[in-house]
Amino acid sequence: MELAKTLQVTLNKKANPKTDLYVDLAQSLSGVFLVGFLWMHMLFVATIIVSPELFNSLSEGLDKYYLAQVGIPATILLIICHIFLAGRRAPMRLRDMRIAWRMTKMMGHADTWIWAGQVITALLVGIFASMHLWTVLTQWPLRAATSAARVASVGPADPSWGGFTFPFMIVFYVIFLLVGEYHAGFGLYRILVKWGWFERHKMGYVLKGITVIIVALGFIALYTFTKIAGGGA
Amino acid sequence: MGRQLSFSIFRYNPNIPGDAPRMQEYKLEEYEGMTLFVALNDIREKLDPTLMFDFVCRAAICGSCAMMINGRPGLACKTMTGTLPSRINLMPLPVFKLIGDLSVDTGTWFRNLQVRTESWIHTNKKFDPEALEVRMENKTAEAIYEPERCIECGCCVASCITANIRDDFLGATGINRVGRFLIDPRDERTDAEYFEVVGSEEGAFGCVGLMACDDNCPIELPLQQQLAFVRRKMAQAGLKLDLKGMKIS
Ligand code: SF4
Ligand code: SF4
Ligand code: FES
Repeated sequence: MELAKTLQVTLNKKANPKTDLYVDLAQSLSGVFLVGFLWMHMLFVATIIVSPELFNSLSEGLDKYYLAQVGIPATILLIICHIFLAGRRAPMRLRDMRIAWRMTKMMGHADTWIWAGQVITALLVGIFASMHLWTVLTQWPLRAATSAARVASVGPADPSWGGFTFPFMIVFYVIFLLVGEYHAGFGLYRILVKWGWFERHKMGYVLKGITVIIVALGFIALYTFTKIAGGGA
Repeated sequence: MGRQLSFSIFRYNPNIPGDAPRMQEYKLEEYEGMTLFVALNDIREKLDPTLMFDFVCRAAICGSCAMMINGRPGLACKTMTGTLPSRINLMPLPVFKLIGDLSVDTGTWFRNLQVRTESWIHTNKKFDPEALEVRMENKTAEAIYEPERCIECGCCVASCITANIRDDFLGATGINRVGRFLIDPRDERTDAEYFEVVGSEEGAFGCVGLMACDDNCPIELPLQQQLAFVRRKMAQAGLKLDLKGMKIS
């Protein structure tokens, strides 16, 4: 902790003393919006549990009123902003990573471990979300049948692979669901902890409850999709 | 007969040329009511007079005996060995300058904190030693007294990953301290002046919300509430104020 203000610190402050505030606010807001998006997205997907017709009419409605056309690029932009805003908190230098990892292991402190998990899931969510977006957008429009086919599709069944098949997509979605909900649930927990108001242990239970419900909905939706693809339902 | 305690203690004296950091083992028999402070004194008296560690008050008041106890920061004088497993691992607090073995220099760090947060009542009123003390609402006095209880042990700083990787971060104790002045009616600092002290990444907006500070403060200060309170206050101040005319020191 040094006392002297260097030229750079002084100039940063002079340029705009409120930058740190704006960036911190923007980080929290982008997180809140993305959690809101994810939970809404999962509720929309879960309409498949009720009926493929409901799922389709919802999807058609989103297209008709240009909600999808505006919403998807906006969400992609938001994700990119969030990567920069929240990513600056992750230890990036090797020195910092080593310290962070050592402290996390040494203390065995739940919230610190959860944060390490958030950093790791952030990476996975980034990769998985790009893949998910690519596969969905290249098969647009999104309807129950196309989604079911996507979820149930198996991996490369080319003879050069020795006829090897594996239900890649379902595994992909199960992992994506768990990782995404973990990152969102604990991310929201941390935002609320930082800004206050609630008792954090009680709040933790509420958020875990919501996350479990959404993960369950996601699992049921995935199951429904595989059944539709198999000609059932 | 009590349990046989085995201690694994970090040894390193940076002042001895060629000394290498290592863990040293000591065995000690536990007895009723033993604290880590007592155990360390026993070790120094009976087994190894070169072992360095700090203590003053033995009563969780002075904050000098903080160390990493089985990986977590805590006060040696407040920790009963009976609450620990028979294998006890002791390390000095990270972040602070290592003096030797378990002894660290928290004084310099806290002195800097004092100066950076300007931890004194800023007032233009002239002090009149004859006058009666100005009265304060009991509620306000209690609200100030709570954060004021900080004993400057450094446990919150040691357990904070942000403070571990960024040496300009004020830490929970620093932000807590500013929170104390924020509610003190005698302090005449403006929002802009407070914003200059903690309205940045080095202060309120640097905290990531890991809550290790909140879980490890031996005095159990409500650090989460304090951090959030200062963050909200500073956000309010920053959004409301036009800081253009603010002086840059
Ligand atoms: S809540 Fe903030 S101050 Fe406390 S340990 Fe975490 S980052 Fe550090
Ligand atoms: S806030 Fe708690 S942990 Fe931090 S220095 Fe003060 S007493 Fe110690
Ligand atoms: S010796 Fe003073 S707090 Fe432990």
